[in-house]
Amino acid sequence: MTDSLLAGALSQCSGDRLRQLAVSDTGFVFDPQTGQSFTVNATGRLVLDCLKRSDGLEEAAQCLAEDCDVPLELALSSVEAFLMQLGRYL
Amino acid sequence: MPENSSPKRPKLAWEPPFIQPHRVGEINKFGRHRPREARVASVFGVDVELLKKNYGSPLFVTSEERLRANVRRIKKAFAVRWGNTCHGWSYKTNYISAVCNILHQEGSLAEVVSAFEYEKARALGVPGEMIIFNGPNKGRAILERAVAEGAQIHLDHLDELNLVEAVAAAQGRKARVALRLNFDTGYSEPWSRFGFNLESGQARQAAKLAAASPHLQLCGLHSHLGTFILEPRAYGEQVKIMCKFMREIESSEDVQIDVIDIGGGLPSMNALQSIYLPPEQVVPSINEYAEVICGTLIEETRYRSHTNRGLPKLVFESGRAVVDDAQVLITSVVGTKRLPDGRAAAVLDAGTNLLFTAYWYNHKVETTGEARGALADTVLFGPLCMNIDVVRQSVQLPPLRAGDSLVVSPVGAYNNSQWMQFIEYRPNVVLVHEDGDVSVIRAAEDLSVMMAQDRLPEHLATPFAPVRGAGCNRFDAEAEKQAKTLRPFRICRG
Ligand SMILES: Cc1ncc(COP(=O)(O)O)c(C=O)c1O
Repeated sequence: MTDSLLAGALSQCSGDRLRQLAVSDTGFVFDPQTGQSFTVNATGRLVLDCLKRSDGLEEAAQCLAEDCDVPLELALSSVEAFLMQLGRYL
Repeated sequence: MPENSSPKRPKLAWEPPFIQPHRVGEINKFGRHRPREARVASVFGVDVELLKKNYGSPLFVTSEERLRANVRRIKKAFAVRWGNTCHGWSYKTNYISAVCNILHQEGSLAEVVSAFEYEKARALGVPGEMIIFNGPNKGRAILERAVAEGAQIHLDHLDELNLVEAVAAAQGRKARVALRLNFDTGYSEPWSRFGFNLESGQARQAAKLAAASPHLQLCGLHSHLGTFILEPRAYGEQVKIMCKFMREIESSEDVQIDVIDIGGGLPSMNALQSIYLPPEQVVPSINEYAEVICGTLIEETRYRSHTNRGLPKLVFESGRAVVDDAQVLITSVVGTKRLPDGRAAAVLDAGTNLLFTAYWYNHKVETTGEARGALADTVLFGPLCMNIDVVRQSVQLPPLRAGDSLVVSPVGAYNNSQWMQFIEYRPNVVLVHEDGDVSVIRAAEDLSVMMAQDRLPEHLATPFAPVRGAGCNRFDAEAEKQAKTLRPFRICRG
């Protein structure tokens, strides 16, 4: 992912916008601004939680790598892809 | 997060993070409703996990109660409108012996289309006179038996007409025959490859020949429009055309038609892939069909009251409408994956090897456990090494795990007959009796079933080096053991 794309995605789903999302334990996500709902898987929920706490992309990837015991690079590229996805929906 | 370099179990199973929007409000298989998880703990009153424990997975579960209720309901719909009616059970729809005998106990004739099906009906104890013998390939030997046993033979082509006549002549008998007709009702694609075509005059010619033969008794007319006919008026048109033809040949030939057989084709509550709306919204009730069919029959035979001819018996050969929802398939999740396009996927222990109808239906899929989270678009793959082995291309399911049970329905029609012996063994089929007892009605296959018909020529009796000096290897002992069970063999030693 190019830096500018990522920056765009990140800016769209950063801060308040993300904190507004209601995320349930079962992975049900509700966006009160649009009324749209989503399903997020367990790893996605973890990343959302990190991002909502205003952790940056790297910290979220670090969390993911540790909790799932996978290499940091793998976690990082997955979080980038996840952010692109979020950027499309929010 | 604290650093921890010592080996530990991951807190979370790895899967790339993923989010999927719910497409609320878009029309889907469930109409405009938001899809809701369909969950069941039992099928036909029996606990799914208990069935799995006792009989394995996958497992076909059949309901005697539902089967009897279905055929009674359909027969009643016709009988209250046209007294003289009879159901012919189309064996190919599901020829498990117990299923056939339940329907015979309910008074259904056997509708068979091959030597195998004819012999099966006889082996079950159905007398020849209660067999309708359809199909385009009836060999001489089986026709000799059918004529001798008084079966009603539905003629498909002129060569067959001549053959049946010759067989009956040789036996000094008069064979009871009906003409299978094909014609255009204007509603469904005509199945013009079966029987005699009406519009071209072929049917009239066949009627003339049959009527003139001292060895054939032309007693009926038959046609089968096709399958899953969603328009009751198609049957109205069919009955009208058949009655018109009956009247025509009865006035031109010395024949008396006492059976009008309208074939099968009534739909079941299954979801055809080509149809967007759910079956509850598109499948007319049996009474709507019966109304049109019997109403037309009454109208088109009214003239007979002024003649000395009686009213014909109405025979219908419904297959799927009778058995489809009387059987479900229990299958288990073997593993799960996330596809590159983000969709969830599961591999099941049952695929198109057992569910041939998955090629044209979107079967209902129900989960059995506790609620486990939001629904997501999921693909269900079967166990075959074939890309087209897909049970559902897209179904809303909660997150699945290996070992989960799924209940697929309805599956009673055309699976226990069209299933494939390919890659996997075919599993147990059980029947839930009316009193709730459960018994196996078709035992699961094992290696002996799969190899029973194989024959090994002597020189192929062993897989390795059957000829002295051709090279031996360490598998000889195993090969020797296996081959002993098949044939005498030669094997080279040391
Ligand atoms: C002659 C005949 N009768 C009856 C049937 C049963 O059809 P269905 O299961 O659609 O009722 C068939 C099926 O192809 C058939 O060919």
